[in-house]
Amino acid sequence: MNNNLVLSIFEIVGSPLCVASSDGQKVYDRLATVLNEGRGVTLSFHNISTLTSAFLNAAIGQLYCKFSEAKIRSLLKVQDMEPDDLGLLKRVIETAKLYFKDPQKFERAVQETLGDGEHGA
Amino acid sequence: MKYSLQKISHDQAGFEALVGLWAETKDCLFDDIDIDMGGTTWFDADMCAALGAILYRLGKKLNMITLKNVHPDVGKVLSKNGFLSHYGREKIPDTWKTTIPYQRFDVKDDRYFAGYMETELIQRLEMPVMSPGLLKKFRESIFEIFSNAVLHSQTEQGIFSCGQFFPKKHRLDFSVTDLGIGIRQKIKESVGLDLAPEKAIVWATEERNTTKCGEIPGGLGLKLLGEFIDLNGGRIQIVSDAGYWRREQGKSVTALLQQPFPGTVVSVEINTADTRSYLLSSELSEADIF
Repeated sequence: MNNNLVLSIFEIVGSPLCVASSDGQKVYDRLATVLNEGRGVTLSFHNISTLTSAFLNAAIGQLYCKFSEAKIRSLLKVQDMEPDDLGLLKRVIETAKLYFKDPQKFERAVQETLGDGEHGA
Repeated sequence: MKYSLQKISHDQAGFEALVGLWAETKDCLFDDIDIDMGGTTWFDADMCAALGAILYRLGKKLNMITLKNVHPDVGKVLSKNGFLSHYGREKIPDTWKTTIPYQRFDVKDDRYFAGYMETELIQRLEMPVMSPGLLKKFRESIFEIFSNAVLHSQTEQGIFSCGQFFPKKHRLDFSVTDLGIGIRQKIKESVGLDLAPEKAIVWATEERNTTKCGEIPGGLGLKLLGEFIDLNGGRIQIVSDAGYWRREQGKSVTALLQQPFPGTVVSVEINTADTRSYLLSSELSEADIF
């Protein structure tokens, strides 16, 4: 039994362009299956040239809906990421944590938007 | 129905002219719509995405659309980028290779769009020389715009794109248009907020505001795009419903158009002479990303 599973995003998506939410869903489906089993997994970004927040939200962001932060941190790792891609992933993760933890976020967003006086007409 | 189209510039006035066309023609059904372009002495080529979307919607209502008296200079550009091929003209060779073809996509065409981007933009020899970091950010930004349209517009009538290089001005214009429900209606349906059209765009461009519901989070795409444009020294414009929003040099401006647009347009101007590296010397570690 393999306890050091490495999933290649390139192999799953079949392209260096990871831009579509639907492709992110394919990655998520595999990750969710592994985490459900309580196994560790490393996600390899080797040969990936382009990422979007839409792809990462679907592939990784939605993990925070189903799994605890502690579980994700203990079982999931990433490798072969460019520093700026890592920065994007970090923002996606922080947004996902807020999205799933803060049911009042829209109400606050309304107040902030409607009270924002910086935008001219 | 006869309509006289005026100058279509890549700015608020250009969008006003296009929503004026839509307002006059939107109720046409089985009609002959003659658009007189004799007065259209200027047409910024990326605006084909917005005009094409309007005309496609009119065509879906089985109207017969004819573009008449097209100004020779305008006709040349719109024939090179393939736009006029949809309205009875032949495509002509683009000698200087400065056009990015007009194209319509379905929402499931993510990969086709990716191929179009690579072939028509990224890998073209005529493409302005951009730093690797700028090219990467530019590519990501265009995909963010397309993904945004796919995820949020709920369009069944497609996504339209078109662009143009201006080598001497070191500028690249690119627009993506969808015929979806628009940002205002999307926020109303998903979040229950009834905002003014221009306020709705402001809301959608702020980080962590999202109309996404369910298990996949969202709320970053347009924010990331705005950040990139700020650094690059370019400009982004969004038109949705009757809302108009523009951001350049770190400042946003909103306005209410006189008529609504039947979807959403995201239009970017990229400064291709930008030499910023964009490659972050991030302190983030793969070990503590989660």
